[in-house]
Amino acid sequence: MPVLSNSQKYNLVKIMNDHIPHAALLGIEVECIDGEELTLKLPYQTVLVGDSDAGTLHGGVLTVLLDQTLGMATVCSDASEPSVTPTLDLRIDHLRVAPAGMDIFASARVYKATRKILFVEGFAYCESKDNPIARATGSWVRVADVDLSWLVPPDKGTV
Amino acid sequence: MALKDSVHNRPSSAALALWLQKVPYAMFLGIKAELCETDILFTLPEDKRFIGNPSLPALHGGVIGAFMEQAAALHLIANMDNPTLPKIINFSLDYLRPARLRDTYAKCLLSRQGRFISHISITAWQENIDQPNAIARAHFLTPEHK
Repeated sequence: MPVLSNSQKYNLVKIMNDHIPHAALLGIEVECIDGEELTLKLPYQTVLVGDSDAGTLHGGVLTVLLDQTLGMATVCSDASEPSVTPTLDLRIDHLRVAPAGMDIFASARVYKATRKILFVEGFAYCESKDNPIARATGSWVRVADVDLSWLVPPDKGTV
Repeated sequence: MALKDSVHNRPSSAALALWLQKVPYAMFLGIKAELCETDILFTLPEDKRFIGNPSLPALHGGVIGAFMEQAAALHLIANMDNPTLPKIINFSLDYLRPARLRDTYAKCLLSRQGRFISHISITAWQENIDQPNAIARAHFLTPEHK
């Protein structure tokens, strides 16, 4: 399959994201795709708070968002075809507390793809990518190639 | 107020439940904590809302991680003389088996409790603790007492 355009990847990732019940529960949406980099958005919700005095999000919410973003970034890689990719491992550095009341974005890309393993890196942030809340790295296993070409509409230019 | 009973030097299930009630996201997930011999047993109840892979179906890896992180935080709080909300520094999670749609359990080991930094290992399983679904470790920063 040739390299997918941004709009083809957007449609593919949106269909995948919308079929994941836990992503829908947390209101995780596809924000944008720029080449191999995928960005998802998590809207702030009071039920997701970890410190009720400060109103700041629970660290575990970032784990869900980053696992989702890094995992779905695997289908945005131009180095390998879309595949079933369970998470092998995930590491998160919590760089600062997420500000209360703010939506969170997470961006991720595959930085190395081998025949069996996809190595992925990503960040969570609010206002600016230059001031991240968390950094995540992880690896995903290519279990089986899946023909997703039926999901991919003809390219009508970039989103 | 310390969670630990002054006589038996261990927390009560009621004190653990009170701490969980202070955490909106823990309540949202329905996490439970109870004393089990000398350990604290954490439970993430079976819930279709936690599915990440509808075709298996399997629970979302992120929700397993969030559950394990919350278990680690409360396990640490239960071991503090002056319980305060610890700050997570980093979290490293290895997924060993897909988690099916059923109750998930977690137990923690406080490997080191320093003055400022603590290290906790967490095991999560469903059917058998010897066949864990995920293992993780977390570093926490403990706020200084004023």
